[in-house]
Amino acid sequence: MATEYSIRMGDGKRVYHDKKQIMDDLEAGIADAADLGEISGLSSDETERIAEIIMLEGRMVGVEEGKEVPVTHDISTLRIDGDQGNSGVGIPSSRMIGCMMHERAFGADTMELGHIDYSYKPVKPVIAQECQAMEVCQQNMIIPLLYGAMPNMGLYYTPDGPFENPGDLMKAFKIAEAQESIEKSADHLTRDMIWIMQHLMRSASDGVNFDTTGAAGDGDMYSTLHAVEALRKEFPNMYIEVGMAGECVLGMHGGLEYDGTTLAGLWPHQQAPLVSKAGANLFGPVVNTNTSKSFSWNLGRAVTFIKAAVEASDIPCHVDMGMGVGGIPMFETPPIDAVSRASKAMVEVAGVDGI
Amino acid sequence: MILLAITNKNIVGRKMSKEELAKELSDAIISCKKDNVIAAVEKARDAGMEPTEIIEKGLAAGMNEVGVLFERGKLFLPHVMMAADAMTQGVALLEKDMEPGESAKKPAVIVNGTVEGDVHDIGKSIVSTMLQSAGFEVHDIGRDMPTKAFIDKIKEVNANVVGLSALMTTTMQGQKEVIEALKEEGLRDEIKVMLGGAPVTQAWADKIGADLYAENATEAVRGVKEILNV
Ligand code: B12
Repeated sequence: MATEYSIRMGDGKRVYHDKKQIMDDLEAGIADAADLGEISGLSSDETERIAEIIMLEGRMVGVEEGKEVPVTHDISTLRIDGDQGNSGVGIPSSRMIGCMMHERAFGADTMELGHIDYSYKPVKPVIAQECQAMEVCQQNMIIPLLYGAMPNMGLYYTPDGPFENPGDLMKAFKIAEAQESIEKSADHLTRDMIWIMQHLMRSASDGVNFDTTGAAGDGDMYSTLHAVEALRKEFPNMYIEVGMAGECVLGMHGGLEYDGTTLAGLWPHQQAPLVSKAGANLFGPVVNTNTSKSFSWNLGRAVTFIKAAVEASDIPCHVDMGMGVGGIPMFETPPIDAVSRASKAMVEVAGVDGI
Repeated sequence: MILLAITNKNIVGRKMSKEELAKELSDAIISCKKDNVIAAVEKARDAGMEPTEIIEKGLAAGMNEVGVLFERGKLFLPHVMMAADAMTQGVALLEKDMEPGESAKKPAVIVNGTVEGDVHDIGKSIVSTMLQSAGFEVHDIGRDMPTKAFIDKIKEVNANVVGLSALMTTTMQGQKEVIEALKEEGLRDEIKVMLGGAPVTQAWADKIGADLYAENATEAVRGVKEILNV
């Protein structure tokens, strides 16, 4: 009987696959990405290399010496004091302690200060506190410290915000009204994100992270790119990171463009050039994990998409690796066997600049 | 964006086959343009195609393709809605030609919502929209909905399908709770339970005794049709 290797399903479940099954799944995942993104697949050498990484002995694996890459962190301090439902480990601590732990104990190369709600809009009423927290952290830290939150444009729609919910309008076939509501929300979001970052930059922030860009669809992405453009103009040396919410920009509006390109339906390799054009220094591409497919399928697919994004990007790509993204299973505590193997494949095969 | 132009070059001369007419109807739906759909429906009707055939082989087939293009990021939500709107208009044109009862094929009544503790509703709303576009009666009760809200709505509208969305591993349990509550209320046999959301799998659906799991909105439409035999 062929040797079987312990791997995961996309929901974290442990299964045993032989090399043939691993190769078949890898190839199917690669083909799926190539088909959807209209990009080239991986070579047989690259596919074989990912299979080798999957089949490595040892629970945890690492990159080859000399191939180490920087790690940037989002959602930041919530990882320490947030509970599991909040993507954290639930240890009571302050935000500064969280930042310093990442710098001094976990080897983070950059860090981010964030707010418990982690969306830009709710930062407005507590801007003074955010500025103060930024100053205190900066006085205690050396690594670049950004301010980060999610554009989360849904907060501008009823019942959370002033503009009628495009989902409701759409269902009533009020398509033009829905699009108008998205456009108005996008303008407000851009304005708010710029305003918030102007304050944080005056309080010594090294830059900004737009985390889960595009979560509310193309309007969210449109708004973020415009905020990036304005901030770059005002702060030429600011560090700007744009991380995505998902692999494909959802077309909720359908007609929004940036620099002549329709935003809806863009895949990672098409997102990267626009993010760079807007003025960002760093792009965080995302590939979603399918919980019903194997780790091999998901990883083959994710590496194919990310490799194409890295090739198309003229700024560094720090691939988004975590629960349910980048080939990693969707599980509250992502299994280390899968996390370390997926990370190694991203560095050694997709050629990412960081994680 | 894919907007297919409808050409009329076949009108003169040769009589079009049913397959060609069906293709033209389907292309008209994919073009997402009401005028194209109305023209194609009138043409097919004048050529003697049965209303039910026009709907099923032409318009509905086009709507399925719209769903596929949407999942592939080639068509966007407004287009789906425009196509659905055009389809409704096309069907309305045919209604007067149909035998009573023929047009009123009982559609499913679906209650759809995101379970308690979970505020993710983008995917769930897309599923509602697509189910509605496919001709089902959909009651979207929103997000972060307690079990009782599902049960109350199911009773109120006499639903035969309930959709439960969960986007977090921590809220998937809510889907199980609704199924348990349906049993307690004696409603479980009368309703099909459909699950969805990124962390959900077929294995989870089997484990908690749901009737259907769908990975995306198009699959949800296909699944509901299959399970209800409509
Ligand atoms: C957008 C988003 C948000 C938005 C949600 C806005 C909104 N109104 O929905 C906001 C910013 C509010 C948000 C908040 C949070 N989020 Co969030 N979010 C996401 C994100 C980036 C995308 C989800 C999405 O909309 N996808 C696009 C849609 C179209 O896809 P979909 O939802 O999968 O739906 C499709 C299918 O699943 C299916 N489907 C969906 N529902 C149904 C229902 C039925 C019946 C059927 C048949 C099919 C079906 O069809 C849909 C269409 O194809 C995901 C990560 C990711 N990339 O998936 C994280 C993610 C889901 N969030 C997560 C977390 C942790 C949170 C927070 C707790 C964060 C925090 N620290 O506060 C809070 C949740 C608060 C709460 N109590 O719910 C985690 C969940 C982890 C876990 N344990 O499972 C994820 C996976 C991110 C991560 N890796 O950490 N989030």
